[in-house]
Amino acid sequence: MKRLVAAAVSLCFAAVTAACGGGADGADSSASVGSAVFTTIDALKPGIDANAPINPYNPKGNTFRGYNAEWLGWTKNHLTDPDRFYPGVAKSWQIAPDRSSITIRLHPDGKWSDGRPITAEDVKFSIGLAYTQGGTAYALDPSAAGTASNIKIVDDKTIKITQTAENPSSAFVRGVMETVIVPKHVWGSVLPADFWERLKVAQSDAPGAEAARAGITSLAEKVIAFAPAQDVSAGPFVLKRVNPGEALLVKNRYFHNAANVAADQVRILNYTGNEQVWNYLVAGRLDSAPFTAVPAGVMRRIVQTQGNAVVRGYSPVSEALAFNQSRRPYDNVHVRRALAYLIDREQVTKVASPEGGTASVTTSGLHQEAAKAWLGDGFAALEPYRTDPARAERELRAAGMKKKDGRWTMPDGSPWKMTINVPASFSDWLAGAKAVTSQLNDAGIEAEVITSADYPLYLEEMAAGKYDLGFWLVALGPAPYNIYQRLYGAQNGWQLFGGKLTHVAPGTKGNWMGGAETVDLAGEGRINLGELTVKLNSAPEAEQKKIVSTLARAANQDLPVIQLWDYVNTQVVNTTRFSGFPGDDSDALRLTSGVWLQLGMVKRK
Amino acid sequence: MTVIARRLAGHLARGFAMILVVTTISFVIIRSIPGDPMRARYEKLVEQGMSPDQAERATAALYGFMPKGTLWEQYADYMRGLLHLDLGQSLSVPGAEVTTLLASAATWTILPVLVGTLLSFAVGIIMGVYAAIKRSSKLGDVLAVSGSLLHGLPQYVLALLLSAVFTTLLPIFPTGGTADVTLEPGLNAAYIGSLIQYATMPVLTYALAGYGGWILAMKSSVVTVLGDDFIMAAELRGLKRGLIFRYVARNAILPLFTILALSLGLLFGGAIFIERIFTYPGLGLLLLNSITDRDYTLMGGAFLLITVAIVIANIVADMLYTAIDPRVRSGQEAS
Repeated sequence: MKRLVAAAVSLCFAAVTAACGGGADGADSSASVGSAVFTTIDALKPGIDANAPINPYNPKGNTFRGYNAEWLGWTKNHLTDPDRFYPGVAKSWQIAPDRSSITIRLHPDGKWSDGRPITAEDVKFSIGLAYTQGGTAYALDPSAAGTASNIKIVDDKTIKITQTAENPSSAFVRGVMETVIVPKHVWGSVLPADFWERLKVAQSDAPGAEAARAGITSLAEKVIAFAPAQDVSAGPFVLKRVNPGEALLVKNRYFHNAANVAADQVRILNYTGNEQVWNYLVAGRLDSAPFTAVPAGVMRRIVQTQGNAVVRGYSPVSEALAFNQSRRPYDNVHVRRALAYLIDREQVTKVASPEGGTASVTTSGLHQEAAKAWLGDGFAALEPYRTDPARAERELRAAGMKKKDGRWTMPDGSPWKMTINVPASFSDWLAGAKAVTSQLNDAGIEAEVITSADYPLYLEEMAAGKYDLGFWLVALGPAPYNIYQRLYGAQNGWQLFGGKLTHVAPGTKGNWMGGAETVDLAGEGRINLGELTVKLNSAPEAEQKKIVSTLARAANQDLPVIQLWDYVNTQVVNTTRFSGFPGDDSDALRLTSGVWLQLGMVKRK
Repeated sequence: MTVIARRLAGHLARGFAMILVVTTISFVIIRSIPGDPMRARYEKLVEQGMSPDQAERATAALYGFMPKGTLWEQYADYMRGLLHLDLGQSLSVPGAEVTTLLASAATWTILPVLVGTLLSFAVGIIMGVYAAIKRSSKLGDVLAVSGSLLHGLPQYVLALLLSAVFTTLLPIFPTGGTADVTLEPGLNAAYIGSLIQYATMPVLTYALAGYGGWILAMKSSVVTVLGDDFIMAAELRGLKRGLIFRYVARNAILPLFTILALSLGLLFGGAIFIERIFTYPGLGLLLLNSITDRDYTLMGGAFLLITVAIVIANIVADMLYTAIDPRVRSGQEAS
């Protein structure tokens, strides 16, 4: 007994000693306890890990966007234009009319949290790091679209970045502006001294280019694993301490706009599930909380808490029911249309996402707000697919489906059982799928929901073409290429390699949507949807509008997906301690509260 | 070599073989789990508002951390690493050593689970003795019912109930975390006080969840012992009630030690539901997250730790039983 107790006590002592050791503590603190503390969560980083490095490239890294991780500029939430930004490390920028280059001017008084100036060299070095990670603006493949081909330091505070002239992309500017900037004097050892020479070779067709590309790509792991001894931040805050429950950041007194940053400290609370965020909100602990799916009952309790207020705005994401068109009977457009006429999207949305969504007005591949802006009068001309059982019956009969004893069967009389797959952990998707199957069962179509154990499994099985129907996010704006790439991209057979577009057969290389490569569209003739989508990358604005109009009509006619609801960015702020939060439909709503603080929007009460 | 040393050597050999087998089986199972974690990460980032390009960039580079080679090659690498006590690097926290992550999480599991287990054990056995002695009275009934109720209540229900009452309706305790981050970590009163405050809810849940089992087991054991001849002999000899109570308790508690030792081994598995509900970053939560993230190396490390802890706990339980029960000891020596 005594030995057992002694062992237990020893274990306890060891645990207490380790617990008292605390987490990372790597910053100079200039603020004292009791000063203005802003409390929030980081939706991009649920599950704070005190063991993770202070590294913005690390998925668990203890850097928080807008607080101690700073981009050149912060992308505004705009319906159609992806190239509007708030200043970040950049004070101003000049985009060439043809988007071939961008000249960036840094804040003249911009400094790192250790007091050293932020220079164009830091930006160039950060771009070097970004090349190891890839992305449109920083692709190593010489034939890739939108790659930064020339980086020129104009002076200590000015840098000009030019994209490849052979294969330009409209995503280039945003790609550059969303570059995270880190201090060269801290990160310098991560890139080899001859990095820029290697990059030149990698971006050419010269012998040894392949080896140079492999060499740069192999640096990615080193970049991601790099662990600076302490936080040196360009943002308004610097990491003071992190423990497994929360991160504490203190104001960076060298930040160029420090005088207008309302908070002295920021606490970012850890969470592992939405219900913890709800508890924080009900308790009134959070000054702001980004979008989290909230049931209506919980939302009622949240708004009852003193100071809590709901802010709503545009969210360029829509939820859709996607078909595997290589499976019968979903290969038949009449069946897809019939289902669209049978599903009452208002009811589905009310059940699945009452606080964070509005029922889709139609299916076009676009969020309805963006659709109005892109299509203008053309939006009203789209078929709305309002609930209409009679039309659904006509469509099903046109597809050859038969009705026996009130239940629909396949054309050959065999049973038709429709299954919708969703990941078990996504409560809104699950509720939506159940609402859809309930409506379809009432309409005589045998339908059921099958859940996948988790999201990774769901996506793998979906990509393997194992599902008839599944839930799929679409309309990821504002860039039109990103929007239609969700319908006419790799998952529908179009593969873009080295600037060359090919279409692969359904069921191969991740083509689970199985749509046709070309379709006939009224007034357009035969069109290749993937080719048009890729064109969106480089087309001028006027041509983009035409292409978007064509693709929207094609999506509306052929229904590769049925759009169910358009997400609404529903956030909660608490006005007890701070004021000046962005209002409804603000273009800053999708940015973190760190950005609101650094821009001086949020004021102390 | 003494009997105990021979017995220990046998246990260790069997334990080592067991660890090897379980490690191999769990390695194969872990590597066979379907799912594409990188694709899931991409989709989540996009859903959270990151541009597809940014999300692609944030996930593409992570493929470099995925295990490479055939299953056999990965297994050989893994076993080679184990020989050097190297469990590899985490995939979900790239660059972090699995041993570091396990050690960090173990801190937050050992403290509350151990305190909770010992607390429930101490209260449970005392109440169990009373419940047995007073089994015909109302007090006995109340104690037995409380044990059955708490034993039957799933841990997560209890945790949700306590969380709703003490963190939301009456916000006395924090909703989650380990300590107030504004306090300087160290052996100072404020920080230790904060540790205790944040650990109270998880500890209380562990203690209440465990209490039911201990009280019922102890009551049953005491009732059995009360019927033994030596108790009747003690009563006939006119021994004091307190002394008889000690006789009863010491004999009845023996089988519970085995369970306690095994419980201490199991504590390394953490308590997934409790840790998740209170955002308490222990081994259970770490294991859960590693499965969601398909962090193969971390999962393997966590399973290995649990296996080793349970094997050791079994050995300790057996050796302890030999040491504390003279009947077992003398029986072995006689044989």
